[in-house]
Amino acid sequence: MINVRSLLLKVAATALSLAATAASAAYVTSHVKNPAAPLQPPVLASTSIRPTDVQPVTSTYAS
Amino acid sequence: MRRNDFEAMGTTCSLIGDADLDAGERWVHALAARITRFDESSELSRLNSSCGRWVDVSDELEQMLRASLHAYEVSGGLVNVAVLPSMLAIGYTRPLRQGWGSPSPESAQPLPDLRAVLGVRQGRARTLTPIDLGGIAKGWMADRLCEILGGQVLVNLGGDLFARGEWPVEVGGTTYLLRNLGAATSSTRKRRSGEMHHLIDPRTGLPANAEIEEVSVVASTALEAEILAKTMLIGGRAAA
Repeated sequence: MINVRSLLLKVAATALSLAATAASAAYVTSHVKNPAAPLQPPVLASTSIRPTDVQPVTSTYAS
Repeated sequence: MRRNDFEAMGTTCSLIGDADLDAGERWVHALAARITRFDESSELSRLNSSCGRWVDVSDELEQMLRASLHAYEVSGGLVNVAVLPSMLAIGYTRPLRQGWGSPSPESAQPLPDLRAVLGVRQGRARTLTPIDLGGIAKGWMADRLCEILGGQVLVNLGGDLFARGEWPVEVGGTTYLLRNLGAATSSTRKRRSGEMHHLIDPRTGLPANAEIEEVSVVASTALEAEILAKTMLIGGRAAA
């Protein structure tokens, strides 16, 4: 009985570890960030910018 | 809503809104004349020719120099206004409406550490290397002019723009409503002659061998957008 309980605990711990590893890997790959990049700009609030069909009054362009 | 389009700083500028746009245009022309490197009598040229001596500078030039040091810091050195010797080496010796000069790229050197050559105190500055404010000036001026004009106004100085209030603006082929935001685009396609273009990689002193041709950025100010766009263009994907 004790062996079965011990085995179940080991299996549960192993499954938990594997799940945490998989979840971490999924998060990291979906949030790519280069810590060596010199720029770490803040992300703008979506309320400050949104796509529109309105005719633009001007544009940003290289000059 | 009024609109005022005019030429200044070698590019097209647009002021849009209900503010005194004519006064805004006069402000741009007056300040541009003080910070141009193409006029030996300009305030910037006097600083450049001071051979490292401390000289009096206006409040506007002081703030642009401080913005230049900020740009150097946050870009990891990729945005460096001590770029004038390289500009001359690639043949960008005069306003481009007069054409490119003869390039001598073999004379180009890696740019110095800006913090070591540019000093700024209240009302005074010195530089050991000639500087060209370029897009830093345009971004700073767009932000500042919006403050001066007040109200709902959009200032676009050659693609470096700030939208005070909410305005529809085309960025990279898509139109966005920008509210109290800046935007800028950097590209190696413009101000180009053959293999030479005006975006200098400070690590070589030569035109950046950019893996990205054009970058558009929306940020909290036009100045920040200019810094981010230029850094990403020069530094490539590793800087993004």
